[in-house]
Amino acid sequence: MTVSTLLVVLVVQRAAAGASEDQWPMPAKDYAATRYSALAQITVGNAKGLRAVWSFSTGVLAGHEGQPLVVHQTMYVVTPYPNVLYAFDLSQEGYPLKWKYRPNVDPAAIGMACCDVVNRGAFFANDRIVYNLLDGHTVAIAAATGREIWNTKVADVRQGETTPMAPFVVGDRVIVGTAGGEYGVRGWVKGLDLATGRVVWTAYNAGPDAEILARPETFRPFYDKGSGLGQTTWPPDGWKHGGAPVWGWLSYDAALDLFYYGTGNPAPYNADQRLGDNKWATSVLARRPGDGTLVWAYQFTPADNWDYDAVQEMILAELTVRGRRRRVLVHFDKNGFAYTIDRATGEVLVAQPYVTVNWAKRVDLTTGRPEVDSTKLTGASRGSVQDICPTLEGGKNQQPAAYSPRTGLFYVPTNNMCMDYHTTPVTYLAGTPFIGLNAPYKPGPGGNLGAVIAWDAGLGKKVWEIKEKYPVWSGALATAGGVVFYGTLDGWFKAVDAKTGSGLWKFKVGSGVVGNPITFTGADGKQYVAVYAGLGGDWALLAGDVRSDDPADVRPPASFMPDLARHTSLGGIVWLFAL
Amino acid sequence: MAIRAVAAAPLIALLVTAGQQAIPPAVRYEQHVFAGGAAPLAGTLENPFKGDRRSVADGEKLFSAFNCDGCHSLGATGGQGPSLADGRWRYGGADGAIFHSIYYGRPRGMPAFGGVLPPDAIWKLVTYLQGLEPAADLSTTSW
Ligand code: HEC
Repeated sequence: MTVSTLLVVLVVQRAAAGASEDQWPMPAKDYAATRYSALAQITVGNAKGLRAVWSFSTGVLAGHEGQPLVVHQTMYVVTPYPNVLYAFDLSQEGYPLKWKYRPNVDPAAIGMACCDVVNRGAFFANDRIVYNLLDGHTVAIAAATGREIWNTKVADVRQGETTPMAPFVVGDRVIVGTAGGEYGVRGWVKGLDLATGRVVWTAYNAGPDAEILARPETFRPFYDKGSGLGQTTWPPDGWKHGGAPVWGWLSYDAALDLFYYGTGNPAPYNADQRLGDNKWATSVLARRPGDGTLVWAYQFTPADNWDYDAVQEMILAELTVRGRRRRVLVHFDKNGFAYTIDRATGEVLVAQPYVTVNWAKRVDLTTGRPEVDSTKLTGASRGSVQDICPTLEGGKNQQPAAYSPRTGLFYVPTNNMCMDYHTTPVTYLAGTPFIGLNAPYKPGPGGNLGAVIAWDAGLGKKVWEIKEKYPVWSGALATAGGVVFYGTLDGWFKAVDAKTGSGLWKFKVGSGVVGNPITFTGADGKQYVAVYAGLGGDWALLAGDVRSDDPADVRPPASFMPDLARHTSLGGIVWLFAL
Repeated sequence: MAIRAVAAAPLIALLVTAGQQAIPPAVRYEQHVFAGGAAPLAGTLENPFKGDRRSVADGEKLFSAFNCDGCHSLGATGGQGPSLADGRWRYGGADGAIFHSIYYGRPRGMPAFGGVLPPDAIWKLVTYLQGLEPAADLSTTSW
């Protein structure tokens, strides 16, 4: 171990020490992205006694993806655009505001955010709250006072780059990425200095090796060896507007000093325009936080024909796979397969469908490649290709899963839909969508549009399933009390038994849930659970007439889901529950 | 690309009403309230292709070719940009107002296309959008 990696590990351990079980300092609670809490006051036995103890309207109507943070009896809430940051004092009655921070965010970002003006949350590090504004700025705010410490422009909104993801802080590095796979951006991650906000390194996801930071002496992929893959797997210059954005969740293994993130779709959707594997779009990449060095990469969906982004979380766990204890990352891809991967090497150990999949028969573990059903290939030359499962919303999308080391199971919010896919040739025009697609959705087998499942990632098997009427777009929370929490698009917040999936409690929170529940210990020593209500994300575009603040915008309902607007409209509310 | 960017003719050439001084084009909501009750002097932009069937068809093609559908959805029923098919307008539905929305863009995420589309093409887009028929029972939803 070099001195610098030793330092990083020490810094990380210090940060982790401050993050006891009573707090929630980063999006997924811990670096392994488990969304698991050891708090156990709320149990399978008493969860039916949960009640709402507090709520707060954020004043913003867009989709409230993401989650609050709780550190030192203060709760931090970031809203969707215009990205207001609220700090609530949890030690006083009624939880009054300590301060709020109101950034001046460029409204041009509204048109450049493909899928509603969401924000996926903040990260607490070094007594500051670090988060992204939608218009391509990363800010660090003093946790005690709300004062802006730095504000760095990382992305160019005029080129279709926006920044809905939560930053990820490792040691003194703030890692951020750009969205814009629908606008033909060239995806990247950047490492900023936590103290000053200065950009220390930039790593593209496609293009020349020097720019994706793949050096021959350090880049060791398990499957796709060789140099220049970020360029040679594209038509000439295709990678320059090839997408591969970053808008999901990150994780970090301190022992290996690697952080993991997934990349989104290659652009445009019309695969005829970008023949080749299109590396490293729809992939997982493992990099060093200090300087961004690429250590390994694996592509889930080579030559993506279906908009199967791979930005979903990579949850770190230690599991038994075929009799051997392995340190793995587990990933539920949009493409419908759940992958269990050796996180040191990138070797795929298990890859099984967790939802209905028909674009590929299986994943070949010796090559790492899916066996694609050629009748499901798309591209403008193939016209409208019928009945592909899952849809481009994915078996799962941004909604993060949780992992309970207590049950050894992953709790996964899923979508159950299939689609037709009809692409057309499209011209790159900076700052406009680079898509060219008509893809009507239909319900998947069974007719329920979503489900929450419990998954055994060592075996690659579903253990139980709760069918839901609508896609489950909220994240999951697992606790040591044996309770799993999640929310639904029609506005229920639910607690279920982690072992069996049986329902324990539910409460109607006022708008559809697309955010992620968290839990913490309050000043009174009691366990609380917090979640956002606030329909939106892709459903702001797809649900039909769920927006009532604009008299000049009335929309028809989605054919595959005509009645969601019967149960919910937009509206951002922070909720707290306790026994 | 079929329709390549053509340098836009100066907007001023489209002004139908031209006084002694250059009067700005009228861009306003129909329901504007005027200070003192008097409307400001303004030139009116009129759609030269109004109701022309060929222009509607051309406009529909332009709507895809210039990626409008990527933000407003197929049929302009609303995506990250508002519905343009509901007969309701944030910035006004008069010829000049829609022209202005496309030529100069609008602040909350509508790009300015004046630099890539010549005025004729914009008027065809206006003609297409004006031709979209809103549903008869648009204002009420019932289950
Ligand atoms: C990058 C996304 C994007 C693209 C591309 C785009 N629009 Fe828009 N458009 C928007 C948004 C967002 C608004 C709302 C702007 C506002 O309220 O300030 C809008 C507003 C409009 C309006 C005004 C609507 C009203 O209610 O007054 C018109 C007309 C319009 N767009 C037409 C077009 C046409 C025609 C094209 C293609 C040439 C196009 N748009 C391309 C996002 C887009």
